[in-house]
Amino acid sequence: MTEATDLAERAGDRDPRVGLRAVAALRRLLEQLEAVQVRSARHQGWSWQEIAAELGVSRQAVHKKYGRQ
Amino acid sequence: MFERFTKDARDVVRGAVEHCEGAGVRTVGAEHLLLALLDREGGRASFALAALGLADRGDSVREALEESRRRAGLSRAESDALAGLGIDVTEIVARVEEVHGVGAMAAGRRAGRPSFGRDAKRILEQSLRMALAHRDRRIGDEHILLALTTQPGPTAEVLADHGVTHAALTRILYGDAEPKAS
Repeated sequence: MTEATDLAERAGDRDPRVGLRAVAALRRLLEQLEAVQVRSARHQGWSWQEIAAELGVSRQAVHKKYGRQ
Repeated sequence: MFERFTKDARDVVRGAVEHCEGAGVRTVGAEHLLLALLDREGGRASFALAALGLADRGDSVREALEESRRRAGLSRAESDALAGLGIDVTEIVARVEEVHGVGAMAAGRRAGRPSFGRDAKRILEQSLRMALAHRDRRIGDEHILLALTTQPGPTAEVLADHGVTHAALTRILYGDAEPKAS
C-alpha cells in the first residue's frame, strides 16, 4: 500500500460519517442474512424454539419477526 | 390513488410486478420500477430518458442494477464503508447465493403474488407529490421516474451514474422552471 492511500484510509477512519455508514450498512446486511438463515431453517423443519435458541433471542421475538412468512 | 395514474403509469406498476416475479423475488422494489420504465416505448418517461442519452444504454443500467443486487442492495458508498472494516459484501452475497440461490438476500421469497416493499410504496406516493408539485392532473410514468431520483438508495445512484438526476429530468420535462410547490 502506498503512503498516500494509507494516509487517506487513516483519515477516513476518523471520519464519523464513514464509521456510522458502515454500522448502518452492517445492520442492513445482518437483517438480510438473518432472514435468509431463518427461512432456510424453517424450510428444513426447524421449530421457532430451535431457531430462537441459536440466535440467542426469545421464541416470541423470532416468531413475531418471521412468523407470518 | 391508482385511479389518478395514466395508462403508461399503470403499465409501469404492472411491469414492475412482472420483473419482480421473473426474478423470483417476493417484494417489489425501486429497481423493479426502474426495470419496467426501461421497457417502455413512447411514453413521457422514455422520452426523458432518451433525451438524457439513455436510449441505447438500457443494458448498462440493467447491469448496474444487477451489480447492486450483488452488493445486497447496499449503495456503493455503503459497501465501500464496509470494505473499510474488512467486510467484502459481494463475497458474502456470492456465498449466500451459492447455497440459497440467486436473489436469496432480497427480502421475502414466498409463494404467491409479490407485494410492494416500503421503498416502492414510498416512490409511488412520491410520484403523486411530483405530479401535484408540477400541477399535473394525472400521475404519469414520468412522475414515477422523477420520484425514483428523489429516494436515496442504489436505484437513484444507478440513475445518477447514468446522468439521470432529479435536476436533469426536471429540466427535460418542464424546462428550467422549478415547481412552485414542492
